[in-house]
Amino acid sequence: MGTLLRSALRPLRRLGGLRGQAAVDVPLRGVRHGAAGLLYPGHIPTSPLQKALLAAGSAGMALYNPYRHDMVAVLGETTGLRALKVLRDQMRKDPEGAEILQKRPRISLSTLDLDKLRSLPEGSLGQEYLCFLDVNRVSPDTRAPTRFVDDEELAYVIQRYREIHDMLHTLLGMPTNILGEIVVKWFEAVQTGLPMCILGALFGPIRLSAQSLQVLVSELIPWAIQNGRRAPCVLNLYYERRWEQPLRALREELGITDPPTVHVRGLA
Amino acid sequence: MATHRSRALWSRVMRSCRLPGFRSSWPRGPLGARHVSQEKQATETHFGFETVSEEEKGGKVYHVFESVAKKYDVMNDMMSFGIHRIWKDLLLSKMHPFPGTQLLDVAGGTGDIAFRFLNYVHEQHKGKQKRQLRAQQNLSWEEIAKKYQSEEDPLGGSRVVVCDINKEMLKIGKQKARAQGHKAGKSYGLAWVLGDAEELPFDDDKFDVYTIAFGIRNVTHIDQALQEAHRVLKPGGRFLCLEFSQVNNPLISSFQVIPVLGEVIAGDWKSYQYLVESIRQFPSQEEFKEMIEDAGFEKVTYESLTSGIVAIHSGFKL
Repeated sequence: MGTLLRSALRPLRRLGGLRGQAAVDVPLRGVRHGAAGLLYPGHIPTSPLQKALLAAGSAGMALYNPYRHDMVAVLGETTGLRALKVLRDQMRKDPEGAEILQKRPRISLSTLDLDKLRSLPEGSLGQEYLCFLDVNRVSPDTRAPTRFVDDEELAYVIQRYREIHDMLHTLLGMPTNILGEIVVKWFEAVQTGLPMCILGALFGPIRLSAQSLQVLVSELIPWAIQNGRRAPCVLNLYYERRWEQPLRALREELGITDPPTVHVRGLA
Repeated sequence: MATHRSRALWSRVMRSCRLPGFRSSWPRGPLGARHVSQEKQATETHFGFETVSEEEKGGKVYHVFESVAKKYDVMNDMMSFGIHRIWKDLLLSKMHPFPGTQLLDVAGGTGDIAFRFLNYVHEQHKGKQKRQLRAQQNLSWEEIAKKYQSEEDPLGGSRVVVCDINKEMLKIGKQKARAQGHKAGKSYGLAWVLGDAEELPFDDDKFDVYTIAFGIRNVTHIDQALQEAHRVLKPGGRFLCLEFSQVNNPLISSFQVIPVLGEVIAGDWKSYQYLVESIRQFPSQEEFKEMIEDAGFEKVTYESLTSGIVAIHSGFKL
């Protein structure tokens, strides 16, 4: 039971081959006879009615079948317009964030130089990140591409948000079990204000055991909220330039305290 | 997309997107043989609202059905609120087959029409047997028992061949046949053939009835498919086509809902977008009737169901 919700909360990670048949390999449509043109590869223009239905349907389906990570992605895209705009404006005001918006870096196995990361000193961000990927057996690839956001820059913002999710795990020191995912979701909800994060944070704990729930509410959530409030916007960090930075130093810079001494991995 | 902008847009597309090569301009020879057209202007066709080359369309349609095959029946129920079953039942009752009918069901991948046909003729056959027995007054018990035992073909000689271009759809159909434990599964009267509606792998004058349900709008050259239908039917044979048609008041909102349903239920927006667009592109009832007449069929009629959402066209090879 725990594993099901755990995978639901890990945003948009398509476990290899799970939904292999889902994507139709229909090449993207060219300009449709005068309709709103495609703003970016994979863009699907939708009317407000369709967005509303998608939001409702994806929320229901994600709750009904937690293995549908694509539904979590769709929910985020269809409900996040306002929050994405706020995030984007925040990024523009920050120098590092503005650079990210301009350069549009992407995190995937093809853009990461794994050998270089492995050769970095112990305790650096790059090392810890790689360690996190190995220990939890996850990969930064197979993120669902954005489809239903009708603004090209905002589409990138949400894509970036998805891709740094693993970074947040590393920063907060949270594993990818259900408890860890809920904690990261609370942090993200405070930081980004995306409705999808808020819903995930509120509904995630539904199926937890009483013991985990108690730990969550008494220690982990307050810690996550506190740090979320204190830290500057995590989307403004150019992680690709900070691989050598020691994790400890980065945490200090962001004001993230050490996670509570609860054995998160053992629970859930 | 504002709804009335899209409404105007779609009706404009509907009107303007009649391709030049669409209506069969090929002259009919004395034996209904095809004359190769000298002009090859329109090598482009439509894939939904997209314009693609004719070679591409086949491949793209194949991909669409390959990906929807597993959820095909579920999605049909969702999109039509189960009404598609009634439409197919109506098609069968219009067909009114009797034991001994040879049916060719083209683009019948998952077997909906074929299974209905088998059940129908099976019932007919049972009724016929009962009537026969009642008519024979003075049989002894042994003779009656022998009559029941010696009955080897519960279908009375009927046969249905399901022909589809898509392997995945045929696979699903075969699985359904096995799951339903069709008595007429492997041995009796049900055959699955991989084939192209534009070039059927059958001899001339073979079948009594030819059906194509929700398949013909996916064919690249509809006129070729109609000509093939004409060819493989016996003289006196019947052509039946069940297809989406033009509604008087375009149900804009339901066409918006269908891709959403596809995304939420099957994780596949694009295929259902294609479905909605291909419905828009399909000719109206009258136009399609004329196309069927061009292929050589006579006594062509059509019946609109559910206020024009679908229509059953029927024609005879005389």
